Amino acid sequence: MADHLNTIKDAVIGGKHGEIKGLVQQALDAGFDPSAIVNDALIAAMDVVGKDFGEGKIFVPEMLVSAVTMKAGLQVVKPHLAGGESRSRGTIIMATVKGDQHDIGKNLVSMMLEGAGFKVMDLGVDLCVDKLIDQVKALKPDILGLSALLTTTMPEMQKVIGELKDKGLRDKVKVMVGGAPVDRAFAEKIGADGYGANATEAVELARRFFGVSA
Amino acid sequence: MKLNSRNLVMSAMFGGRRGPRPAAGNPTSIVCHGLMKKAGASFPDAHTNADAMAELALAGHEVVGFDTVMPEYSVVQEAAALGARVDWGDRDKMPDVKEFPHADFSDIVIPSDFLEKPACRVVLDALAILRRHVGGRAAVIGKVMGPWTMSYHMAGTQNFLLAVGMGEAAKVTRMLRQLMPVTIAFINAQFAAGADIVVLADHATRNLVGPYHYEQYLLPIHQEITAQVGGPVILHVCGNCSDRLELFARSGVDAYHFEWQVDSREAVRRIGDRISLAGNVNNPQALLQGTPEDVYKQARYAIEAGVHLIGPECAIPLSTPLANLRAIVEAARAGH
Repeated sequence: MADHLNTIKDAVIGGKHGEIKGLVQQALDAGFDPSAIVNDALIAAMDVVGKDFGEGKIFVPEMLVSAVTMKAGLQVVKPHLAGGESRSRGTIIMATVKGDQHDIGKNLVSMMLEGAGFKVMDLGVDLCVDKLIDQVKALKPDILGLSALLTTTMPEMQKVIGELKDKGLRDKVKVMVGGAPVDRAFAEKIGADGYGANATEAVELARRFFGVSA
Repeated sequence: MKLNSRNLVMSAMFGGRRGPRPAAGNPTSIVCHGLMKKAGASFPDAHTNADAMAELALAGHEVVGFDTVMPEYSVVQEAAALGARVDWGDRDKMPDVKEFPHADFSDIVIPSDFLEKPACRVVLDALAILRRHVGGRAAVIGKVMGPWTMSYHMAGTQNFLLAVGMGEAAKVTRMLRQLMPVTIAFINAQFAAGADIVVLADHATRNLVGPYHYEQYLLPIHQEITAQVGGPVILHVCGNCSDRLELFARSGVDAYHFEWQVDSREAVRRIGDRISLAGNVNNPQALLQGTPEDVYKQARYAIEAGVHLIGPECAIPLSTPLANLRAIVEAARAGH
């Protein structure tokens, strides 16, 4: 029985994007619990991919292909999940800050969070403070994820947190930050609630915020 | 050797006579709000107007005391000249590419007047102005994007890296090879315009790709580029690239501009006998958030490790305090 799940897991790790839909369908046809396919195969695979990435065994090209593969598998299994979309563990807004067009890290985090069962609203790149605050007011997310790749744009994160305080929204949303120049010390300095060094850590952080285990 | 800024920098480029102190240099932008104020020139004008561009570069030498002048602050000049839609930003925001004209990996045709496109012409004009003002006294540095960075701008970074991940080697290599002549032509034009040194910025960084990607796709291209250009080249690849230092040393460049994440002692030990090392002062923690003492201490560590040209590791954040930037120069002036 576990072979099906292991095959799916290996396909995601190996980035076999052309085969994944068929493999997931086969597992469904064989009577596997859809949530087991998600948790024990698709997400479990991305945990391995994230760990390999963190250890420098693989890099963004391989991780992107695995994420695309996971997403394709998720599309097949999603309609079969009990309660459909209602299984969401919480709502997360993701955005790259003003002046920064870089979105790969944010996209990878978004894909991993979706795979882990969170409802993710990706606002895109180059988001000014005012727009982010408006979206926090309107969408009332549990978590706001901010990304910056450039040392020239990371100060924007502090502005966003400052504005959340000024608008009385700071205690209504957890803020997590990440991106190449960002580190834990910077996150603490600007008053963020958490920092993820990579997509896997971001997912772990979100799980901790919601008090859920993998 | 006459002890002026240019000679100190040029000697450092080739591991030559050291003089009484190391050179302080900026292969990438040292523009911050304080420098814009002192220079009376600011972004976005300094990306598109040769006089403003040169004025700002001169301030780095004349006001802060760096031994170099480097007038290209963005990474999008080539992309703009190749037809990508560029947002030139503002005083607080660096320029960026808004749309990727070859997201479908369609063939890239280099315009015959590429070097005369405004986004290239402005850099060449600024270099000529700098040559006239400080030529022979301060080292004039140019900067050109390599084919890997230009591919990010032509196809979109994620799209390009996905093709790499999918193993679409022919598609990836075709785009790189179509862009390679742009890099070679622009480097040579910058030397002709007055640059002493040109930076080849090609962001095959560890944050994105592995050493095996660099070796497969980019090393042969960098070797071809360096064989076809007429002067000294500094390679700039940001991120922690300690896993590919030896590959960079084989690329034919004369120096590598590197981040603080790579320990300077380690870098000097491994490749310092083959190429020079530049940069190494941390941007986010030291220059942006630290004190002048933090910066000074870090610069001294790198100098004592044997880094040849001390400076920021990459383009500095625009809100970097000018006093922190000065601390690099002070560390250099304290001698070897």
